[in-house]
Amino acid sequence: MRLVVDRVSRAFGGVYAVRDVSLTVEPGELRAVIGPNGAGKSTLFALIGGQLAANAGRIEVDGRPVRRLPAHRRARLGIGVVFQAARIFTGMTAAENVMVGAHATTRAGFLAGALRLPAHHRDEREIRSRALACLDRTGLADWADRPAEELPLGQQRALQLARALCARPRLLLLDEPASGLRAGERESLAALIGDLRAEGLTMLLVEHDVGFVMRLADQVTVLDLGRVIASGPPAAIRTDPAVIAAYLGTAPAGRPEGSHP
Amino acid sequence: MKAAAGCAAALALPLLLPSRHLATFVLLTLAAAVTVGVSLLMGYAGQVSLGQASFYAIGAYAAGLLAVHGTPPLLGLLLAPVLAAAAAALIGFPLLRLRGHHLAFATLAVQLILLSLLAQASWAGGAIGLQGIPRFSIGGYSLTDDLGYAYLALLVLGIALLVSRNVVSSRAGRGLRAAATSEIAAAASGVPVGGYRLAVFALSAAFAGLAGGVYAFFLGYLAPGSFPVLLSIEYVVMAVVGGLGTIAGPVVGAVLIVVLVQVLNTLGTQPGMPDYAPSVLSYAVYALVLVVCVLYLPKGVVPSVSAALHARRR
Repeated sequence: MRLVVDRVSRAFGGVYAVRDVSLTVEPGELRAVIGPNGAGKSTLFALIGGQLAANAGRIEVDGRPVRRLPAHRRARLGIGVVFQAARIFTGMTAAENVMVGAHATTRAGFLAGALRLPAHHRDEREIRSRALACLDRTGLADWADRPAEELPLGQQRALQLARALCARPRLLLLDEPASGLRAGERESLAALIGDLRAEGLTMLLVEHDVGFVMRLADQVTVLDLGRVIASGPPAAIRTDPAVIAAYLGTAPAGRPEGSHP
Repeated sequence: MKAAAGCAAALALPLLLPSRHLATFVLLTLAAAVTVGVSLLMGYAGQVSLGQASFYAIGAYAAGLLAVHGTPPLLGLLLAPVLAAAAAALIGFPLLRLRGHHLAFATLAVQLILLSLLAQASWAGGAIGLQGIPRFSIGGYSLTDDLGYAYLALLVLGIALLVSRNVVSSRAGRGLRAAATSEIAAAASGVPVGGYRLAVFALSAAFAGLAGGVYAFFLGYLAPGSFPVLLSIEYVVMAVVGGLGTIAGPVVGAVLIVVLVQVLNTLGTQPGMPDYAPSVLSYAVYALVLVVCVLYLPKGVVPSVSAALHARRR
């Protein structure tokens, strides 16, 4: 799926979190969006996913404008989302959590469910088999029938990824999926993202950890203070003077520490 | 197993009860059916309706008016939930974008408006009430005794329970349960959260409308005074006491509250009691029961009891 973000802005109380940001992600591309704390990465992520509404600009997937669509409509168009915080559904099993992910690509409504019409049974079979496959793929098969809140944090993060994959997205947005993971979990996540990329899934990966994205991404966009300051393949970004300045804090003073590449 | 035992007990009960208690049984069963909807709305859509009796009234008046004007009772009874759900969809639609307690206030307002409209409407009998509603009948067979209505009410309760159980365990129900814990993640998964909540509201109104239709044929007489705001509060108390998010909760809640109110009524009419005792006792009981329940059994009777049983078995 081709994603076009064109001069998109979003302000909070007069302060721009994202300003005139443009980027194009080609089908099958893995695009990383990096930047120091407060650069506007998570805001951009929410603008594309539909959790926030842009004040101005154009957002299109496969030529279809989505800027004014609510999040659930964007999900139906094939945009999958993995949040930074583990936004799992408590009080439901891991398998049920993943089954909710299939919502975007199934149809059976209230009436079908209430009266157990054939559409309900057809969808349930499909949803269940897809959910089990996604749990398997993310290494959660053994957790399927456990309440989601009993899963360790790393598994909760994986659960979100399984849920997003269960919709069979054509564009997957990931917000710092590696943060808070242990080294082993980080490796298996990187391997899974690599597999998805090999399958041709278009992905946009927002990441704070530059090392993690540099070896995965095809293209990197660097944000600072809500604007794009550099864009290009990882090798070029590594040596870009504007990027180095932004990360080392030689540009505007008072940048928080701990965000070196 | 448990469900089968519950069904058998419910079906046997009207035959075992002394016939003077059958009327109470019918009203209790209808209240339970309404409460099933309230519990669904509160437990799965996170919304409170303080005007659920208005949908009960809409269903009752719809069935009553249709029957008075010669429509076959079965058709009237089938239209009652449809009209109540349509009214709920109309009321709920503008509230979709709002959050918090807007639905609670709006439903309360709707009920107050409906009651004064009904009192003015001469075509619906006005304040005096709608009289001469025929008894329920299908074809040539007419339902005349309380026992028949007891089973009709049980059928309505059974439908409400079955439909709500089916909804909860379906694709839409999973979406609703998901939205109850993370609205953002549910929407990102493709769940139209607002639309689903409206659908649950309409469904809860349909249960109330269906129960109201049976009520109209059972009593044969309707007046605005039969649907006070206190009745709406009663449904909320029943739902909370029984336990939200459970199938048996609304039934247990309705039984507990009705039995309690009956006992207090008997107590209040004992010789030597002041003449305001019955009303004070029955009004006060809702407040007390609600406070005690929220303080000591915040999840309601059914979840608390089943958790205690579960812990003991371990």
